[in-house]
Amino acid sequence: MSDLVSAALTIAAKDIRIEWRTRTAVISALVFAILVLSILYVARDATAVPALALAPSALWVTFSFAAMIGLNRAFLTENELGAMDAIRLSGVSPSALFLGKFGSNLAFVGAVEGFGIPIFVLFYDVPIGVHLPALLLVTVMTTVAFVSVGTLLSAMVVQTRFAEVMLPVLLLPFLIPPVVAAVHLTAVLLGGRPLSAGLGWLKLLAAFDVAFVTLSTLLFEATLSE
Amino acid sequence: MSPDNGAYMIAGYVVTAVVVGGYALWLVLRLRRLR
Amino acid sequence: MMTRAEALRLASRATVVVAICVVGVAAIFVRALVFTPIERAQGPAQKIFYVHVPSAWVALMAFSITGLLSIGYLWLKDRRLDTAAAASAEVGVVFSVILLITGPIWGKAVWGTWWQWEARLTSTLFLFLLFVGYLLLRGTIIDHDMRARFSAVIGILGMVLVPFIHMTVYLFRTIHPQPVVLKPSGPTLPGSMLITLLSSFGVFTVLYLAMVTARYALATLEDLKERELHHVA
Repeated sequence: MSDLVSAALTIAAKDIRIEWRTRTAVISALVFAILVLSILYVARDATAVPALALAPSALWVTFSFAAMIGLNRAFLTENELGAMDAIRLSGVSPSALFLGKFGSNLAFVGAVEGFGIPIFVLFYDVPIGVHLPALLLVTVMTTVAFVSVGTLLSAMVVQTRFAEVMLPVLLLPFLIPPVVAAVHLTAVLLGGRPLSAGLGWLKLLAAFDVAFVTLSTLLFEATLSE
Repeated sequence: MSPDNGAYMIAGYVVTAVVVGGYALWLVLRLRRLR
Repeated sequence: MMTRAEALRLASRATVVVAICVVGVAAIFVRALVFTPIERAQGPAQKIFYVHVPSAWVALMAFSITGLLSIGYLWLKDRRLDTAAAASAEVGVVFSVILLITGPIWGKAVWGTWWQWEARLTSTLFLFLLFVGYLLLRGTIIDHDMRARFSAVIGILGMVLVPFIHMTVYLFRTIHPQPVVLKPSGPTLPGSMLITLLSSFGVFTVLYLAMVTARYALATLEDLKERELHHVA
């Protein structure tokens, strides 16, 4: 068990270190997120749609798309360098490899969200204050949801010819339950109500996380070519 | 008195017929080519 | 894998059954359109029910079977399971198209709008898009082994996704007609309508099986031909 964890952490650390050197991807994703938030704010009929009403959807659409940008790159370096074989040969278990990638992708998306949320609060004039911990919880749970399936899918599509287009096409149906739940929960919190008001959605999100993190870890081995 | 929406009914059945018939035909034609 | 002769024999038998079922579907049409009473509140458009609901059943069954066959493939590594899974997915997509077009037509007639983001239509739409994605993915992969493995992953993920999509949309209010047939207290459809519906279910199910078999035979013949070409080359 500790082998699994330490191998996963090593892999995650390696990826984070590589990304940290240039930071290009994460900054680009963040800029992208800011742009999408802005466009969604501006491209509406302000007399018909108050910013606060749009806010939850805007936040989660933005984060989903930014996450997909990050995920598209997840296995790119390995694929380009043929490094996958080297990693396999080193005896790392597929589960450890998956969890490591999952971890570094979480860090990437988390970084975008970490800067994105304050900007969101600023742009949409959102009364967040008291409910920030709850919002962070919802954010973490939702991010785990889409990064788990996204990591698995990106491992596959990077080996095909149409990776950039196939990832969103395959991933978006899986984003429906977590994103819809996140939007509802965010709306609950922004409306000043406690998290318990959205209990059904919270349970859905938790169940989704458990099911898909487990499933993705188990299925990852099938994406590796002998 | 029932609403007069027979046209929708016809449309629905036509679509079903076209899709079922079309796919069946496609299967038959493709199989024929490989005979 | 089957020999060419076996595949051809399977194909012939399957196409015969498909043809019989197409006639069966025509018979259902006649029964539904001419010999089944018109529902008073909704009018003749309600009769779309007799093709819409069985299509929904077939689509759901098709995608579930794809999921199960996908598990089977990853477990047993028998390529035929992948071929069958893909065949089922394709037929599922075909019936989803019927479902997604007849649904709005019926909706427009009865609700006044072409689309409602409610429970069942929305779930079906996403499932449809997922399985179109499944078929598209298969199209981008040349290596048969990779294609089978990746398809299996999507098939299984899709199968697990279905209940979550249902739950998501259930947590919304729905205006979709409440189930009239599969209620615990028993069906509330009047006799003649129930018979039409059940017959339609029967014909559509057999049609699904025949189409999947024919599609499977077609895929097998195409694989055999591809092998032939590689050996010659």
